[in-house]
Amino acid sequence: MNRILAFILPILVCASVPVCHASSQDSISRALDEVTITAIHSERRLVTGQTIQGSDLQALSSTSIADALKYFAGVQIKDYGGLGGLKTINVRSLGAQHTGVFIDGVRLTNAQNGTVDLGKYSLSTLESISLYNANRLNACQSASEYASGATVYMQTRRPENDSLTVQVKGASFHTYTGKFNIQKACNKWQGFVDAEYTDSKGDYPFRYKSRYEDTIGVRANSDIEYLRVEGAMFSGDFQSHIYYYTSERGCPGGVVRRLSDKYDNVGREWDRDFFVQGTWDHAFSSMHRLKATAKHTREYLRYCTDYPENQNTARVDNHYRQNDSYVALSYCLSPASWLSLNTGADARWSDLTSDLKFFDRVSRFDGKAVIAGLAEWRGVSAAASYLCQYYKDDTKISVGAADPLFKATPSVSLSYTVHGFTVRAWYKQIFRAPTLNDLYYTQAGNRNLKPEFTRQWNLGLEYHAAPGRWVLSAQADAYRNDITDRIVCLPMKGTYTWSMLNYGKTLCHGLNGSTTMQYRSGKWMAGVTASCTIQDDRNRTGSADDDSWNMIICYSPKFSSGVTAMGAWRFLTLSVSELHVSERMWSYADPEDILKPYDNIDMKLSADFPHWGVCFEVNDLLDVQYELIQRYPMPGRNFKLSLTLKL
Amino acid sequence: MKRIYLFPILALLALTAFSQERLIILNEGNWQSNNARISYFEDGRIVSNKWFEQANGYGIGDTPNDIIQVGADLIAIAVNWSNIIQYIRTDGTAVAATEDIPNNRKMATDGDFLYITSYGHECSTVSGLWECTRGYVAKVDLKTFKVIKCCEVGYEPEGIAYYDGCLFVANTGGYAFQEDHEYETTVSIIDAETMTKIRDVDTGVINLYGKMSQTGQYLCINSPGDYYDTPACSMIFDCRAALDGSDECFMILDDIPATYNCATTDGKFFAIGSSFSYYTYEYRFNTALIDPKTLFETDGADGLDDCLPGTVSADIKSKLSSPYGIYVNPYSGYIYATDANGDFNSPGKLHQWTPEGTYVGSYKIYINPAHFLALGDWKPAGVGRIGMQRETECFNLQGMKVPQDWQGIIIRNGKKYINIKHQ
Repeated sequence: MNRILAFILPILVCASVPVCHASSQDSISRALDEVTITAIHSERRLVTGQTIQGSDLQALSSTSIADALKYFAGVQIKDYGGLGGLKTINVRSLGAQHTGVFIDGVRLTNAQNGTVDLGKYSLSTLESISLYNANRLNACQSASEYASGATVYMQTRRPENDSLTVQVKGASFHTYTGKFNIQKACNKWQGFVDAEYTDSKGDYPFRYKSRYEDTIGVRANSDIEYLRVEGAMFSGDFQSHIYYYTSERGCPGGVVRRLSDKYDNVGREWDRDFFVQGTWDHAFSSMHRLKATAKHTREYLRYCTDYPENQNTARVDNHYRQNDSYVALSYCLSPASWLSLNTGADARWSDLTSDLKFFDRVSRFDGKAVIAGLAEWRGVSAAASYLCQYYKDDTKISVGAADPLFKATPSVSLSYTVHGFTVRAWYKQIFRAPTLNDLYYTQAGNRNLKPEFTRQWNLGLEYHAAPGRWVLSAQADAYRNDITDRIVCLPMKGTYTWSMLNYGKTLCHGLNGSTTMQYRSGKWMAGVTASCTIQDDRNRTGSADDDSWNMIICYSPKFSSGVTAMGAWRFLTLSVSELHVSERMWSYADPEDILKPYDNIDMKLSADFPHWGVCFEVNDLLDVQYELIQRYPMPGRNFKLSLTLKL
Repeated sequence: MKRIYLFPILALLALTAFSQERLIILNEGNWQSNNARISYFEDGRIVSNKWFEQANGYGIGDTPNDIIQVGADLIAIAVNWSNIIQYIRTDGTAVAATEDIPNNRKMATDGDFLYITSYGHECSTVSGLWECTRGYVAKVDLKTFKVIKCCEVGYEPEGIAYYDGCLFVANTGGYAFQEDHEYETTVSIIDAETMTKIRDVDTGVINLYGKMSQTGQYLCINSPGDYYDTPACSMIFDCRAALDGSDECFMILDDIPATYNCATTDGKFFAIGSSFSYYTYEYRFNTALIDPKTLFETDGADGLDDCLPGTVSADIKSKLSSPYGIYVNPYSGYIYATDANGDFNSPGKLHQWTPEGTYVGSYKIYINPAHFLALGDWKPAGVGRIGMQRETECFNLQGMKVPQDWQGIIIRNGKKYINIKHQ
């Protein structure tokens, strides 16, 4: 019965409600016993997707979303190091701005720079986190969900009981965290409030050792203090989310040769982010389904360099404010059990104001419309979508607004499933529009920029089985993508002037593989998840005579892999993760300009009792010194200890 | 018949000149990547692209801005983002390094002292921490490497030259697009001895930013404009006239920016320039050969050519994707230009021409090769206190000591002579 339900549910029920979730018979079960249903609708095998949910998610040694995402195949996290360092996700080398990050089905946006700092979102309120290459293919999706090269979905947990949880945590580098969560579940509605306060000095030691260097230091100006308060309410077809985040952090620069700590290039940043969103998703009958979403976001950012230790740069104290209003409507028609048609339209109004010199208010209207179809017949599935996007800016800045942009892009998917095996193929075209910074930033912006355009091809295999107490799944995808008109910041020929340009092409071939095995029996549970990426990402800028033609793109590893093993017995859970990333070039100028390969081992041991729990974590167990960005060292071995009380 | 004889003679001449080529090239690397490097070029080959590392076992730092010779066996390098003035010998070995002058930019010397411009607002001197509101020039005693005095000038002072006991400083106000002040339009004149400002010459041209070259009493100063409403240009500044109190001590070359420029061995300037506007997003690219003396004598009617010797201009336009510097070896007259190579992340190139402008070849160096220093029989490049010379000493028009039989224009006992080799 459950199996049949799981087939129908994804079509009928709201896309953003956790559906692949069967309630266990055991009424006193907690997170550990939230069984994952294995019968996955073939529609979901049509896309290349990876999900971590429930207990697996909580077992990962992770402080932010970025730590969970790095175990997915094809993912590269860009991290400037430390708790406060900007963390962005790059999927299959498309670049951070091609990844759409969604919370409860609604996209997180930043009109100014188009990137989402994953460090601002917590895992503790999440039910699952998923990554889809191209886009998810649920029946009723908004147009925005089709509008990026890869999509990450963060799904908030819908409370199932009443509880009050308090957690305190201490960690290396003078890091202290307090968390508070209260949740309520009635028949009519469920909701929670979750708050977290963290203060961290971030003064981690680092070492650079090479033939021409032996530098030992402690990271300075890497502190962060933040408060995050969020709440969600669910009631039948309606769900809403409210979020507030405020922080003050140091922005340390690259570690360069200095004779002392006298001059530090101090930059500090303050953020205040707020959003409120609501979604109403209603199935009128088995044929008609309607989803409506509204969201309002306000973001404030202050960046200040006006400190006596900072002698190297201009002394600025700039404030940036963004407002963003968003509405979306999508409608799904299922005329027959094998066919569903989806149409949707989105509208977004953003504006950016700043006291940056020679800058003025910029506003942008961004409209999207999509038609999509999904058909399934005797193991054969097919999906196609056609997305139209329209961007129009308005500004009083002296350079004037960019010309409106209108562009339509298609995608198609095909799969065949037999005896648990699925073969799939898909193709997608998508672009990212230039951000407001790209177009209008004082002495850099270029209003003539074209969108950065990508094409993706994918051929994959997937297998699922659930023999006895085992659950097995494996998938492998070969892909190819190319990017044209890459938006980069370069100095113009023969001038000192830096500016945004459409410059460069890349061609990437790769192979993603991932496999999951789980075993459950009575008090025991064990699981292993492994993923790997083999990738060949080449520069195709200019002509074949150029020195850098066909070179591997900087920072792109040829090989990376992640293995997570988890074992649970009664109240104890132990998880060990290993991440390997091969060497990466950081310049084309010298074969010695490489970042060394690294291995990261994380361990987490937790004990959970009905009213309290304790958890101990070691990250980077072997104290490997590594970097994801040249001269931005990552913290080495560090410890965390947390104590949780629950009523 | 003449041709047949001429060829081996020219070849021999080229060869002898070639063997004198010793050049240090400063590769800026990428900002905040700590990957600045020094390349050493000798006799038609790159000896090393890791010259400093190999001599000292560590890297030079982040984003060096200028390199000049300050003694017979002493070179100063301003390593901007590391806040370091690094002193090395002519074999590349480090002598000393100080961080007294943060945000250091460009340098000049009289042989005893080093003068450095800084965008910073403080300086560690022998008499304690010195502070100012705008930018400043620091005077370093080359015997102790300590700052002995500072002089406040305009906001973000860039180019600096030494002439007749005075310093000439081009103020930019380059942070005007971020900070609460306007672009500067002045050249500050400082008495080098006392480090007091004599006067500011208001040129009416904003943002005097970029490489500043000196030949004798003349300076070549670039202005990129503000990249919006004010277009790029350059100017030739007459230090002598400025010291004599003349208001007509500079000549503006409209629409001829000199983003990268250098002095030649015969008292002229070579310039590569480009003008850019964020309105049109287009840039215009030019080369220029400027004869400052003729320019002033003819009141701008003559002395300006848009073509560099031989094929240099054409080669720069066709062979270089991102010109990043131009230089003439003052000892040999060989011409060099560097190319940052498109994406500023690829190995840069050094291109070489003979003094007549015949293309010799290109050499792979490192990221963002920007600054040059030729090694030879060194004399302070600036023009010192003007007085009597010893009779036996000969100088070229840049004030460098040259042998008696040096080809071209030489100055002996205050008089100009033309030396022509008889064959």
